[in-house]
Amino acid sequence: MRRWLPVVALGVLVAVVGLATTLALGAAAPSATERSESLGAELRCPDCQGLSVADSPTRSAREIRRQIDELVAGGADDEAVRAHFVARYGEWIRLAPSAPAVWVIPFVVVVVGVAALVVGLAARRRAGPDATAPILTPEERHRVRDEAEALDA
Amino acid sequence: MSLRTLRWLLVPLLVVPITWLLLAGFGHDPRVVASPLIGRPAPAWETVTMAGEPIGSDDLAGRPYIVNFWASWCLPACVDEHPVLAAAHEAHGDRVTMVGILFDDTPHDARRFLDRYGDAGYPHLLDDRGAISIDFGVVGPPETFFVDADGIVRAKQTGPLEPQGMDEHLATILPRASR
Repeated sequence: MRRWLPVVALGVLVAVVGLATTLALGAAAPSATERSESLGAELRCPDCQGLSVADSPTRSAREIRRQIDELVAGGADDEAVRAHFVARYGEWIRLAPSAPAVWVIPFVVVVVGVAALVVGLAARRRAGPDATAPILTPEERHRVRDEAEALDA
Repeated sequence: MSLRTLRWLLVPLLVVPITWLLLAGFGHDPRVVASPLIGRPAPAWETVTMAGEPIGSDDLAGRPYIVNFWASWCLPACVDEHPVLAAAHEAHGDRVTMVGILFDDTPHDARRFLDRYGDAGYPHLLDDRGAISIDFGVVGPPETFFVDADGIVRAKQTGPLEPQGMDEHLATILPRASR
């Protein structure tokens, strides 16, 4: 056991250093360029079909990217940059909805659907086979009797 | 709750909202974006006319004005509304200032459009980078904003103006006595 101790200690040390490095890199503040690109990807290109400002070559998209750069360089935080464009275009300019409730709707639909399915299956199981329902209709009963008689004959 | 009752409940619970969503989606023009500018001060801007003369929103202050974003390539919508704008300028030009702003267009092409379809005489302004159209939240031409004498945006038309729409929007910016 004692022989393995240095190896285990080295392994733990490597893991701790790796984790710390990852956390430090992840926590590092993004550069102005990275922030501008990220914000551009969040905003809808006004005169395109389903493209972000970051992905579009149109004149409006270029100007919005320029304004984002200018706002970021001027010290505006991300929310202030978003608010700048929302004040002009409304929430429509954001590719992803900002209202948290909107994100919840698909999950609510799935939960309601599963609940409806479970309740439906439980109700069906509780009801069991309907004893009062006739197994054969009168016509079918006549036909069975006729065919049985024909076989006997 | 019996299975049969549940089945009858599920039909309206699922079909009605889905049908409503589909109808609402198909009945709505995705280009029509509600403007957050309505009821707020109009954006300030400075630019030059196609003739090269400097002009800014300050020059229009104190009386109602109409800002029409258009382009020579915007067919047929900009052609369709052109006579409506010209008629409104002729009828109300003494009380309402009208300006056109080129949306992603060149003065050369705009001039050819005006030569072909008629120049009503109001100025057409350049917006080379598109900064003015972004400040107004323009998605695509034609879009028209109606600003009252206090500089407040009172109405917006997305798409071509028709005579009735023009009258309704004008009523929001003209003083009651002068309508």
